[in-house]
Amino acid sequence: MSLIQAENLTKVYGAGEAAITALDHVNININAGEFVAVMGPSGCGKSTLLHLLGGLDRPTDGNASIEDQPLAKMTDDALTKVRRRKIGFVFQFFNLIPILSSLENVALPLLLDDVSLSNAKQKATEWLIKVGLGERLGSRPDELSAGQQQRVAIARALITDPILILADEPTGNLDTKSSDEIVSLLKQVSQQWGRAVLMVTHDPRIAAHAERIVSMRDGKIVEDRHNAKSEG
Amino acid sequence: MNLQLILAARYLWGRKLRTFLTTLAIVIGVMVIFGMGILLPTFTDTFNKSLLAASGQTDVMITHKTGENFSATVLNQIKTINGIAVISGSLERTINLPPDFYSKNSTITALSLIGIDPTVAPNLRDYRITQGRFLKQGDGNVAVISEKLADLIGVKLNDAIKLPTTQGVVKLQIVGLMPGRALVGNEQVLVTLTQSQKLLDAAGRINVIEANLTTKDKVESESIVNNIKARLGNTYTLGGLTSGSEFATTMQNSAVLFNMLGVLALAMGGFIIFNTFRTIVAERRHDIGMLRAIGANRLTIIGLVLTEGLVQGIIGTAIGIGLGYLLGVGATAGMNTYIKQFLNIEMTAVVEPSLFVVSIVLGVGVTLFSGLLPAVNASRVTPMEALRPSLGEVTQRINRIGTIVGAVLLVIALVGLISGNFSLIALGGIFILVGLVLVAPALVKPVANLFGMLLVIIFAREGTGELAQGNLTRQPSRAAVTASATMIGLAIVVGAGGMIFSIVGLAEDMFNRSMGSDYLLLPPSVAIWKGDVGASETLKAKLSAIPGVSGVNSLRYAQSSIQSVSLKTGTGDTATSVLGINPADYSKMSGLDFISGNAQDAFNALAADERNVIVNGILATPLGLKVGDTLPLATPTGQQNYRIVAIGSDVLSVKINTAYISQVNMKLDFNKSEDILYQINLTKGADPAIAEQWLNEIVANYPQFRLVSGRAYISEFMVQYNSIISGFYVLLAVLAFPSLIAILNTLAIGVIERTREIGMLRAIGTTRSQVWKTIVAEALLLSALGTALGILAGLYLSYVFVEGLNAGGYMKMAYTFPLAGVLAAIATGLIFGVLAALLPSRQAANMEIVKALRYE
Repeated sequence: MSLIQAENLTKVYGAGEAAITALDHVNININAGEFVAVMGPSGCGKSTLLHLLGGLDRPTDGNASIEDQPLAKMTDDALTKVRRRKIGFVFQFFNLIPILSSLENVALPLLLDDVSLSNAKQKATEWLIKVGLGERLGSRPDELSAGQQQRVAIARALITDPILILADEPTGNLDTKSSDEIVSLLKQVSQQWGRAVLMVTHDPRIAAHAERIVSMRDGKIVEDRHNAKSEG
Repeated sequence: MNLQLILAARYLWGRKLRTFLTTLAIVIGVMVIFGMGILLPTFTDTFNKSLLAASGQTDVMITHKTGENFSATVLNQIKTINGIAVISGSLERTINLPPDFYSKNSTITALSLIGIDPTVAPNLRDYRITQGRFLKQGDGNVAVISEKLADLIGVKLNDAIKLPTTQGVVKLQIVGLMPGRALVGNEQVLVTLTQSQKLLDAAGRINVIEANLTTKDKVESESIVNNIKARLGNTYTLGGLTSGSEFATTMQNSAVLFNMLGVLALAMGGFIIFNTFRTIVAERRHDIGMLRAIGANRLTIIGLVLTEGLVQGIIGTAIGIGLGYLLGVGATAGMNTYIKQFLNIEMTAVVEPSLFVVSIVLGVGVTLFSGLLPAVNASRVTPMEALRPSLGEVTQRINRIGTIVGAVLLVIALVGLISGNFSLIALGGIFILVGLVLVAPALVKPVANLFGMLLVIIFAREGTGELAQGNLTRQPSRAAVTASATMIGLAIVVGAGGMIFSIVGLAEDMFNRSMGSDYLLLPPSVAIWKGDVGASETLKAKLSAIPGVSGVNSLRYAQSSIQSVSLKTGTGDTATSVLGINPADYSKMSGLDFISGNAQDAFNALAADERNVIVNGILATPLGLKVGDTLPLATPTGQQNYRIVAIGSDVLSVKINTAYISQVNMKLDFNKSEDILYQINLTKGADPAIAEQWLNEIVANYPQFRLVSGRAYISEFMVQYNSIISGFYVLLAVLAFPSLIAILNTLAIGVIERTREIGMLRAIGTTRSQVWKTIVAEALLLSALGTALGILAGLYLSYVFVEGLNAGGYMKMAYTFPLAGVLAAIATGLIFGVLAALLPSRQAANMEIVKALRYE
């Protein structure tokens, strides 16, 4: 059984003549521990797909399920809990809270789940060490490089032990060296730590690190292939 | 909660200036409420402490309802009642002392002269003597005083203590000293009853009866008290002295005005907090979106914003209470000089525990309430917001229902104003403010267009004026909220300014009419007459005999109360000052401001051989009194019905319940013939120097009076009046200050939202100075809108204050257009506009183009 299932997933923005179909009856399954890259030109619907799978937005038609739980029928609170416990997000612009330290930013999802501050900080420390930032626990985002900020964001995404990591252009704001480091880290998330990773990117070089590449155009999946190059 | 507290603390610390300015809005609101909350009870408490006797050590204390003295034979009526163990009558009197009476810088302003029966009184109370002896029957000019008083005035056993009396200054030999007074109140001078009756010109009279009962049982005691009441009738009070509640009425009237200012200040604070939180939510859209994305639910987000409000509310309220305390204590100290001079009262700041509760509830409550809507809006930010770049929103939609309701309220306010009905006019004051707030969004565009034309001329050919105008009208509701905060601030300045100018105008008129004689002999306390020691009729005769004096007018005073049950309003007694005038002298040398009836008929009626009375506005209005009504005055001889012949006020009693009767009737009904204030006029061509020499010689024997020239007194009073008003204006300026924060916040939010736009403008060739000018122009438009509304509301409010007082019949005041207030409001608006723009315009002008273009 797949971890994530999407059936006829459709999203239409606007109405009447101004209506734009961002996603057009898309079907996709993602298995546990799988590293999937979604590629395509701007406006092809790859980000919309990520938003719908992550429960950030509601589909116009069709359904997405996570561990057999259909997201479309969930209340806002239930959906919030799914995002908090089962999904980790990594954004293009990191979206760290500028007034909090690295440690506090990473601890944030646990604090939202009523975990005590000391426990949350302990776990956040462990994850920051794992992503190679054990020395920068007290640094604020503006004191870190872009690559380091994205590492903090990945640690934050992983701290609740989610089953799925959704990354929206995680290297879009990074230089080549940092991009390579981040995508390697995401690969590690999938292969070593067993989380499924769905990464949206327009960069074929980055996508090449994924074990499966899904290509989209005009709101539809035009290709879904296994990437043999990623192995090894 | 952990997370919310951490984030609240960090956000507040991260934006120190914003936190400071927003908290300042709360601080100012709470400060005004707390400060005024100290000042008003301080007046009341000080008055009560200083002028009311504090007794209650005996089982029963009987006084006349009026507080005046009564025949000593009353004692015989009740001494035979079963259950009374010991009973004694005394004649007590607070004596206001002239400044520096005992020595330079003496802190003693008043004494209690107590005449007791030395054979019976020690059975009632424990009079401990530490040196010398107690009083004994037949003692003449001797007194027993406290050790503390002896220390304060620098005398010892067997020395003499001097006292001002109706007979001039009298010296009493100190035969005994007792310990200092344990209760609050004045230091006591004990003399024999006979001696006090002589000193106070009240032979055969007493004003307090005290008794101890044979039982301490509550039920039995009540039965004995009821028997006493039955024997004496309802003209006597059992329990304590009742007087001075006319002062409480004055305080209540002042409290209405100050509470109104406090409420307006808090409302303005509310608008500012509301706007600040809207700014905060707009700024943190991405943060909130991200929090939602990683699992924060809506309640968590609401809690996050409200926790920040709570922290600010608590800190702002705490500081506001601290500053309010300093304001209250400082103002008390500042006003002490004047109060001491005019009312002979030493004030000590009073802080009632309930004031803390009210201030905390209002300060924290308003903050949370104002933050609630932005918090709910924040909770509606979707997780998608964290992922999507933002564009400056354009919401030109205007709430039509709000505009219509606002317009209706404005029309009702105008109708109320025209009607002349006090309640409708007062209601109109609230309606005009709420109405303007509601119609403000619809006014944004026309006002922006109007003032925009000016800016286009000023910033010709740069396009910045048009841009600023466009920026302002893209969010009319936000601009309107900002303008509303400015409006309230400036409405206070203009409204209160108008009222003050009108009151000053009236005060000057009344002074000239009431106190316009050549010379005045003033007692230590003017207006609160109770403790003043006057002089017997011989002084008036002496003054009249001075060469060159054409006439002498005197005022006499008695306390009374009016049984409201027989009048229109409710139950209970209304404490009233009764002033005895000689109608013929008074009409020549002084005068009243008549609201109803005319001077000639009124003074003729007072001179007639019947009980006629003139009442002042502040007494007539709440009781619904009108000319022709019967006024049942409580007197030591029982209730006497007086016919109201006119309603009018003089400057001294404008805020005190006062009834004017003839001196003949005052002697008849109140047994009072003591003059407490004199007005003296000279014949034309008389040499003032000679007259003054005579006056000074006579007054030397009556140190309770101060000789001043009428003109000097008026200018002396006006100088002090003006200095109080200046202080009031400083307070108003403080109240207007938060509107600066409102404009600043709105500009800041606009700059943040338009970061990319500004980047684009810079990219296509707009200079830093042009960006700077655009923001300044926007600020000026915003402040122009707020100022225009503020002046409109302020003019209405000032008219409401003045017309309200007139329609209420308290006084007859001509409306003075507050030109200075309007000019101050325009200047404040312009200055605040530019000041508020400084930070945001600098931030916008200094933006790095690439960074701004990439801003999300």
